[in-house]
Amino acid sequence: MVMRTLLCSILLGTVALSAHHSFAAQYDADKPITLKGTVTRIEWTNPHFHFYVDVKDDKGVVTQWAFEGYPPNMLVRQGWKKDVSLKPGMVVTVQGWRARVEPNLVAAREVTFEDGSKLTSGPPAGTGGQ
Amino acid sequence: MKQHVAWLMTVIVAVSVSIPSRAQTTARKPKPAPRAVDGKPDLSGVWIGTGPLRLMAGEAEVAAARQADIDEGRPAPRTEPPPYKPEAEKQRQYFLDRRGIDDPMARCLISGVPRISFRPLPMQIIQMPDQMVFLYETHHAFRVMPTDGRPHPDDVEPSYLGDSVAHWEGDTLVVDVTGFNTKTWLIGVGTVHSEKLRVTERYTRDSYNTMLYRVTMDDPEVFTKPWNAEETFRLRPGERIREYECIENNEDLLRIERLLKDESVFKRPATNN
Repeated sequence: MVMRTLLCSILLGTVALSAHHSFAAQYDADKPITLKGTVTRIEWTNPHFHFYVDVKDDKGVVTQWAFEGYPPNMLVRQGWKKDVSLKPGMVVTVQGWRARVEPNLVAAREVTFEDGSKLTSGPPAGTGGQ
Repeated sequence: MKQHVAWLMTVIVAVSVSIPSRAQTTARKPKPAPRAVDGKPDLSGVWIGTGPLRLMAGEAEVAAARQADIDEGRPAPRTEPPPYKPEAEKQRQYFLDRRGIDDPMARCLISGVPRISFRPLPMQIIQMPDQMVFLYETHHAFRVMPTDGRPHPDDVEPSYLGDSVAHWEGDTLVVDVTGFNTKTWLIGVGTVHSEKLRVTERYTRDSYNTMLYRVTMDDPEVFTKPWNAEETFRLRPGERIREYECIENNEDLLRIERLLKDESVFKRPATNN
């Protein structure tokens, strides 16, 4: 049993899941980030949906951040509805992990809406490649 | 003599009661697999692996599935590390160090066999008396597997999913897959193979809700011995396979090209994938 667990661990250490690509190829699990801002645009597309949020810093400077998440077929299984769940003008808080290179790109794990409800928007960090 | 036999029987009964088998202590009889008109187990339905279930349905459903396995005495899936020859292992490590950025799947190319079986999107099996049809949400892929005893065609071209023929061994569907190209990874990042790859899949619907999947990958070019992997598929009642047109807006392509120009991104070894 110990050996079985060990073998599973060995393999699972190298194979995990994402809908499309290795998480670590583009994103850094050591760079978690949570951002709050106003949604400006949504791309309800494959192999990822993208949405863009204007985030204002302490000095009032607005920066646009891009978020990547599940494709539509996965989003609907998490309870999302196109043009309903997320709309331009909504204020959202997004938790995720920053890209390795692009300064304002985030793999979005969860979106929290103004009423406190939450929806899963993408896979957890470290997954990908199976 | 009769006394001895009686004593022996008493001991056997006592032992069997006091040290019951694992199955006797833990197994709850699950709802049986349905049968097709020809008496074979009917594998038809929408299925997804237990690992991918986490992404699709969440931790609670995975925990419930694992508990059902324990209650019903179903062994946990077991996958060995890939038994690569040194040169092939070197290739795998190269791809791992690059954190999977070279993944053919990120470019929307069809995952091969068995990788497509482990994807976090469901598949639908349609069983007919003389063939099986597997429809995958991933990549809109499909496989048609004759079960009427015919061999592989003699004009097979190397392809992503290879060519499949199947037969029944008792209640297990055994699928022989050959004719692969080398543009896919077998299961995880960098799991390379040659055109000599031969995959044997075994599908056993051991209950109404579960189907055991055991797969052997044999490739004398890259492996020192066949590589075995397992998964337990879960029936998804009410689920349907949906559209997934991967190439529609694949911004990853541009980002990957930019990343590939910056070798510093790959200087440290992978900590995760």
